[in-house]
Formats: sequence, structure tokens, C-alpha cells
Amino acid sequence: MTAALMATTPGGLLLVLAVVVPVIGILALWLVRARDIEWVAIATLAVNLFLSLATLQAVRASDAPLVYLVGGWLPPLGLALRVDGIAAVLMAMTGAIVAVTALYARGQFGFDPQGPERRRPMVFWTMLLAITGALNLIFAGEDLFNLYVALELLTFAAVPLVSLDGSRDTLEAALRYLVFALAGSVLYLLGVAVIYGAYGTLDLVVLSEIRGAEGALLLAIALMTAGLIAKTALFPLHLWLPPAHAGAPAAASAILSALVVKGSFFLILRLWFDLLPPGLGTIGANGLGLLGAGAVIVGSVLALRQARLKLLVAYSTVAQIGYLFLIFPLATGSEAASPFASLAWTGGVLQLLAHAFAKAAMFMAAGLVYEAIGHDRIDGFRGLGRLAPITVLTMTLAGLSLMGLPPSGGFSAKWLMLSASLGEGAWWWAVVILAGGLLAAGYVFRILMPAFSTPDAPAERLHPVALTRELAALSLAVIAILIGFLPLSPWPLLAIGRLIQVSP
Amino acid sequence: MNALLPIAALFPLALFVLSALWPAWRPRVARLLWLAPLPALAAALFAIGGALALPGPLALALDFPGAMLLGAAGLIWMAAGIATLAFWGEKLETLPYQSWWLLTMTGSLAVFMASNLVTFYLAFSLVSLAGYGLVTRDGSARALRAGRVYFTLAVIGEAFLLTAFVLLAVGTPSGSIAIPDVVAALAASPLRDAALLFLLLGFGTKMGLVPLHVWMPPSYTAAPFPAAAVLSGAAVKAGVIGLARFLPFGTALSGWGEALAIIGFFSAFFGVAIGLTQRNPKAVLAYSSISQMGVIAAVAGMSLAGGRAAAPSELAFYALHHVFAKGGLFLALAAIAMTGPRHLRPILWPAVVVALGIAGLPLTGGALAKLAVKDALGDGLAGLLGSLSAAATTMLMLHFIVRARATAASDTSAEAPFAIRAAWWGAAAAALLLPWLLFPSVAGNLRKAVEAKSLFALAWPMLLGGAAFMGWSRLRHRPELPPGDVLVLMRPATTRFYRLADRIAGMEAWITTWPVAGTLLLLLAIGFAGAMLAAR
Repeated sequence: MTAALMATTPGGLLLVLAVVVPVIGILALWLVRARDIEWVAIATLAVNLFLSLATLQAVRASDAPLVYLVGGWLPPLGLALRVDGIAAVLMAMTGAIVAVTALYARGQFGFDPQGPERRRPMVFWTMLLAITGALNLIFAGEDLFNLYVALELLTFAAVPLVSLDGSRDTLEAALRYLVFALAGSVLYLLGVAVIYGAYGTLDLVVLSEIRGAEGALLLAIALMTAGLIAKTALFPLHLWLPPAHAGAPAAASAILSALVVKGSFFLILRLWFDLLPPGLGTIGANGLGLLGAGAVIVGSVLALRQARLKLLVAYSTVAQIGYLFLIFPLATGSEAASPFASLAWTGGVLQLLAHAFAKAAMFMAAGLVYEAIGHDRIDGFRGLGRLAPITVLTMTLAGLSLMGLPPSGGFSAKWLMLSASLGEGAWWWAVVILAGGLLAAGYVFRILMPAFSTPDAPAERLHPVALTRELAALSLAVIAILIGFLPLSPWPLLAIGRLIQVSP
Repeated sequence: MNALLPIAALFPLALFVLSALWPAWRPRVARLLWLAPLPALAAALFAIGGALALPGPLALALDFPGAMLLGAAGLIWMAAGIATLAFWGEKLETLPYQSWWLLTMTGSLAVFMASNLVTFYLAFSLVSLAGYGLVTRDGSARALRAGRVYFTLAVIGEAFLLTAFVLLAVGTPSGSIAIPDVVAALAASPLRDAALLFLLLGFGTKMGLVPLHVWMPPSYTAAPFPAAAVLSGAAVKAGVIGLARFLPFGTALSGWGEALAIIGFFSAFFGVAIGLTQRNPKAVLAYSSISQMGVIAAVAGMSLAGGRAAAPSELAFYALHHVFAKGGLFLALAAIAMTGPRHLRPILWPAVVVALGIAGLPLTGGALAKLAVKDALGDGLAGLLGSLSAAATTMLMLHFIVRARATAASDTSAEAPFAIRAAWWGAAAAALLLPWLLFPSVAGNLRKAVEAKSLFALAWPMLLGGAAFMGWSRLRHRPELPPGDVLVLMRPATTRFYRLADRIAGMEAWITTWPVAGTLLLLLAIGFAGAMLAAR
């Protein structure tokens, strides 16, 4: 079986390119003149977007995962890159969001020869490319240690983005993020060591064939899960996320909320659905669901209480991450042929996609609001609709998806997850989803209603904002809406290449 | 003719986009606002029986009950659109006025054409949420307070409805989300009772059935007259079409039917009782709406209990009259408020006829509405309660006339702009006459409407109600309640929510301290390991 799963497939080279191209881009940044950095980075990300879409197309067309054996060596001796259906979808999502973020960030960290801080553009664009490469490696990786490296690269690239403006507060937030993420890494690495000690291999495909219900495996998965939860900022381990967003530039927040936390989430999915022996995860899955439920409620309530838009959106991320973890109890509890054919699996992935696009759009809009009126205090939003109509439209569309109104990706996700929980008779998850929707309606309402209302005194727009940047944010919100037009049933694409075909 | 359906739904939306993107068009859009429902009227006339799938999960179709309400809603939007131009003047040339008007209209019209769950939910949400902008249009503190209540109840109602729709979809083995399919599968679905419960909660919130009515009186009181006209005339009917579409009338469901009838009759009498304590004529009309929607719910309940397949048409017909009567009376209030005693008569007298028509004044359109649902209520207790509710409505409508008259302008020679008067007269004419045209296709021969037996059945409750009102108005100390009655009782609930939110925030602050978060991290690792090892 290993041989069949593990041979380089046509198109496998795409995976190598997807990992290597961002790295080449980073190297190229050092070689060009400062004013050209932006363009080199944007070109690299355009190529990356093309590669990720080509990967998605290849997986769809062949109905099988893409595999590339590095150096032609078979695991466990060699390293394999492998992209299955869900990984291809997430790769394409990453490619799209990073590329649009680059367009949005153009000029923001532009080279200013007279400016006091000349490293900023270099740092931002380098880290953006590094995050892209790290995420591609996470989606394509098969080897647990390889994945650890990718995960560390992701964290170390994300931390500087938080403290880009170098103020005391942002440095403190970055340090908080770094230390907590490191604690997560330690737990993950501990799990990797336990697995290596017990099985002598770290390749997920090989492991999924030789592992039984050994205690070492379960211990390792538990350690790694806890570590990854910390990096995903799942309640109650979300302490680093809101402060990290408070002072980060809008483009960095968009990447952090939409993509970075999804990388570690994807690994939890792989551990629980590809590695954990079927039937052993029920209690744990419900535990993860419970944490998710806590995140939905606590995150939403706190979002309702924030005075600043950016923190509101950050706490909304805490809540929306919670929905993702409802996949675990719902997909394992489903009576579908495999968890990957269940409504919850597709619903969860849709939630991931919709949230990524909507949240990136929301953070970008928050940044534009800040530039337009010089602050992001919600009680000062009266008349914003007149000052920055495109930005308010962006917030509206993204808000609709976050609230889960049709047609939007957020609605489709909510619909499928509600169907899954009510169909399984697990109505308590449905209560959480609905309560989260109500609270989300509340916080979106808090942002939009003052923005729509007419101001007492006509406010002034402080700075003109480039139309392309407003349109970049808008395009992501539009995608979040368009996801709602995809069929409301399990996608076969998301079941391609899963390792276990029976319910865990 | 199928193409008329999307055009009808999207034309107001297109006007909104036009107004949003090109400010130069706004004055023109303002003048054309009253024509926005025109495609909907064309669809109601020419596209009955049409069906069309749109991109993604959206689909439209128009049946006869839907067409009746679509046409009626289109007409009241049109009348209110004519009035609003004169009422708001230049303000109507700004985006906020146009956008809320057009978005609410889009949802309000589309909901009658929605043929699957997602489309229905979309249209229903649009009319409910955009309605917030109409309720709070004048921006006063009172309007914003009313708007908060409105919005809260609207999203709660939507959550109920979403639950119901998911239960319907899950209970449909074919996986279809078309409304006829899910309703056909409902009777045999294991989730039937839960689905019905949430359907009734969702639509009950929209229709203002007690105790989910708390949003309606403050909202209609706060909303400017033309906005109140479309909200009470057209928007509320989203709940009625919901009952007509989603309740499985083909199969007799006795327990549920009777429960709905009891809730409906309770609302019918409760609305009148509280309405009589109101001084503001807008609040009186709001309570009358609660009462009339209660009657509709009671009719739906009795039809459900009796397995009456004709119920959707009868409900829609009853609601059609209410569209013009209630929407029209709000327009009449606008005209009365701008008119002095000298010119009041041509405005007030039609209002008397239309208002008493709601109670079933013989030979009016309202009388036909009462007759159309007579069979559904039957001759037993439900029939008697129906007649008594007509008597109660007579009282409330007389009270309304008295209160409305008191709001006339103090300047004796003042006269409302012609557009407002014309809009009112148009709505009044539609309320009185249109039911005559449609009655034969809903309830059979028109002769039923003029025979002595029917006239007597309609007349005695009115005489009773009239006498009761005489007695009531002699009372020295009549109670007065604030609009929203039990809303006062809910204030502690809001404080409790805020206190709970404070506590959650306090807990979160504690959890996100370093020592606690670190401990939790380790505990989670141990917990997961324990859970998996235990499962082994």
C-alpha cells in the first residue's frame, strides 16, 4: 500500500515549486534595490498563487493526492510531499489571500529614504513570503519533524509582523506571542520525540499503517494537540491573540487571523483524522468541541464589549476559531461512510475558508478606517458610510458572512454544521452555533449601524486612500460571499486522499 | 414570463445599487422610488405558476397565494412610495433613505416568490434586518431604543427560523431544499415536532404573536408614517406567507393546530385589550396588527387541525386585505397629522370605513376577508371566538378613530400634500374593492357575501363591539400602558445579560494571565492524554 500511496505523481513537482518559490523570492529581496522590493514580492506571490491554483486543479482532475518524493527516496528513508483534497483547497486559499494582502500592503511599507525606520519594508515583505512558504510546507508536509520545522518558521515569521512598528506595546505583545507559541512548540516536539521513539518513523502515511492503539501514540497526539491549540489561539489558550492584533498593521493582522492560526489548526485535523486510530477520539473530540463552544461564547461576548474595531475583530477571530473545533465531535459522531463524507467536515472547511476571506477583509477594512478617520473607536463611526463607502461596503459584506446570513460562505458553513448537529441529534452544538450567530449579529450591528447613520457634523476624511487598496479588501469580502454559492452538500474534493476511510 | 420573477425581486435592488454607486442619480431615484414595485405587480399578474432557478442555492417560484400577497405588497409599497416623496421631500434624495427603503422592499417582495429554504431565509432576513433602518429613520433616542428591540427580536426570530429550516432539510430524505419537498416530508419526519415548534417561533416573532410581539408597538410608534405603513402593511406578511407555505395543511395535525389557534386567539384579544390603553394612534394600530395577526394564526391553526388544503389561499386573502387596511391607515394618519379640521372630513371618513372594515363591516373588503376564513374557523367555539374578536376589533377601531382625530393639525386650514392624500385614498380603495375581485377565486360565489345570513353574522359582533365601546368610553379612569407592555418586564433581563457579560469578561481576564494560561496548557495536554488512554 505504501508504494501505491507513495510514488511521485505527475504534477508532483508543483509541490516542490510551491515550497521553493517563496524561498527564492526571499533571497531575491536581498538582491534588488529597496524600491523594487515590493514588486519582487508581489511577483513571487503571483507565481505562488498560480502554483497553488494549478495544484488544486491537478488534485481535482486526477481525483487523487499529488505526491513528490524528495530525491526519489521512499519514506521512512526519504521525505515525501503530499497534497490531498483539503490541503489543496487551503493552499489555494492561502495563495489568494496572501496575493491580495500584498496588493493591499503595497505602499504601506513602501521605501521611504527619509523615513526614520528603513527596515520595515524589508521585514514585512520577507516575513510575508516566509509565511507563505511555511504554510505551503505545512499543507504539503508528511513528516512530523518536517512539519515542526514549517510550524516554527510560521511562528518566527509571524512574530515580527506583530511588532512591526516597534512600539513598546507591540513588542510586549510580540514577546507574549513568541513565548506562548514556543511553549506550544515544546509540547509538539515532545510528541514528535515520543512517536519517533516508539515507531522509528515520522512519516504520517507510514505511521497510519503501522500504528495501533499504543499508549505512546495517544500520549504523543495529546501533547501535540495541546501544543497546537496554543498556537491556534483556541480558548482558553488565546491570551496572545487579541494583544497581538491590537498594534499590528492591518495587513499583518489579516494574515495572522486568516492564515497563520489555520496552519496549526490544519495539523490538529491531520493528527486526529489521519493518525488517531478510529474509535479512540470520541471523548477527546467532545473535549475539543467543548473548548470550541467556550471560544464561540466567550469570544463573541468579549467582541461585543470592545471599544476599538480592531480588538472587536480580534475577539471575533477567537469566536470563529471556536466553530472550527466543532468539526471534531460532529465529524466523528456522524453516520456518514467516513468522517470526510460528513456534512460537518465540509461545513468546517467552509467555515475555515469563509472566515479566512471575511476576516482578512475585515482587518483590511479596519486598517482603512483607521487611515480615513485617524482612529478605530466604534463610537466615532457616525457618518463613516459617507466618508469611505467602499470600505463600509467591505465591512458589510464581510460582516454578513461572519453573522452567517445567506448567501455567504459563513451561512453555508453554519447551515452544514447545524444540519450535522441536528441530524446527529447533538442539539447542544446547534445551540452554541446559534448563540454564536446571535452574538455575532450583535457585534456586526455595533460596527455597521453607526457607520450607516448620518453624522451630527460632517466629518473630514484625513487621508486619501488608494482605490486599489480599498478594492483589494473588497475583493476578499466578495469571495467570502461567493463561497455561499457553492453547493450545500459534502464536497467529494475534501475527501480526496484521506488516510483513514472509516470513522475514528 | 418566468423572467419577471427575478426582475421583480431585483429591480429595487438594482435601484439601490444605482443610488449607491452614482450619487448624481439620487434625485432621479427619489422620484422613481414609487415605481420600484412595478415589476412585482407585473409578476403578480402575469407570472403566476412560474418558477426559475437562480445561481447557487437560490430559486424563485410564484403560486396563487404568493401572487396575491406580492401584488398587495407591491401596491402598498407603491402608495407609500408616493406618500414618502411628499413626506420626506429632499431627504429622500440621500442614500440612507433610499437604501433602507429599497432593501426592505427587495426582501419584502422576494419573500413571496422564494421557493426554497435558502432563498426564503435570505429574503426574510433582508426584510427583517433592513427594516431596522426604517424603524430608526428619524434618528431620535426613542427611535434608536425601539430599533434595538426591533433588531434583537429580528435576529432571535431568524435564529428560530434557521433552526426550523435546518430541521426541515435534515428531515427530508431526498436532500432537496425546495419548500414543497420539505413540507411534504415534514409529516413523516422524526424531527417534525421540533421543526414545527421553531417554525412557529420564527414566524410568530415576525407576525408579533404574544409574547413575541414586544418589538411591534415601539417600532411602529417610532417609525415615520410611510415607513410604518410598509412595515405593518407589507413586511409583516413575510410571517403570514411563512405560515401559508410551511405548515403542512394537507395532513391534519390536531395537537399543533389547536395550540396555534389558542396562541392566535390569545394574541387577538390581548392586542385589543392593550390597544385600548394606548393614546398614540400609531400604537393603537400596532396593537391592532398584533390582534389581526393573531386571527390569522388562529385560522392557520384551525386549518392545520382540520387538514384544510385551501388554507394558504384563504390566509393570503385575509392578509391581503390587512395589507391595504393597515398600511392605508398609517398613511391616513400621516394625512390627518398634516390636515386641519376644515379639510379633515374627506380623510377621516374613509378611515372610519376602512378601520371598521378590519372588524368586518358588511360589504367592505374586510367583510369578504372575514367570510373567506369563516369555514376554517367553523361554527363551534373557534367560530364564536372569531366573531368575538371582530367585536373586540370594532372597539379598538372606534378607539383608533377617536385617537386619530385628536392628532389633526391645529391650523384649521392646513391640508396635507395631495400625494399623501392620494396615496391614502388609493390604499383605501384597494382595501374596499380589491377583495371583491379576488373573492371568487378564493372562497367561491360572491353571492355569499351579500346574503342575509352572512350580513347578520358580520353585523352582530360589530353592534356588540360598538355598544361595548360606548360603555368603555364612559369610564372615568381608563388604564394607560406604555407601548410594548411586557417589554418593561424584560429590562431586568438585559441588565442580567450585561452582568453576565461582565462576569465572562472578568473570567477571561483571569484566564489570560500567564500562570493560569500556562497551567491550562499543561492540564489540557494531560486531559487529552487521559481521555484517549481511557477510551482505549
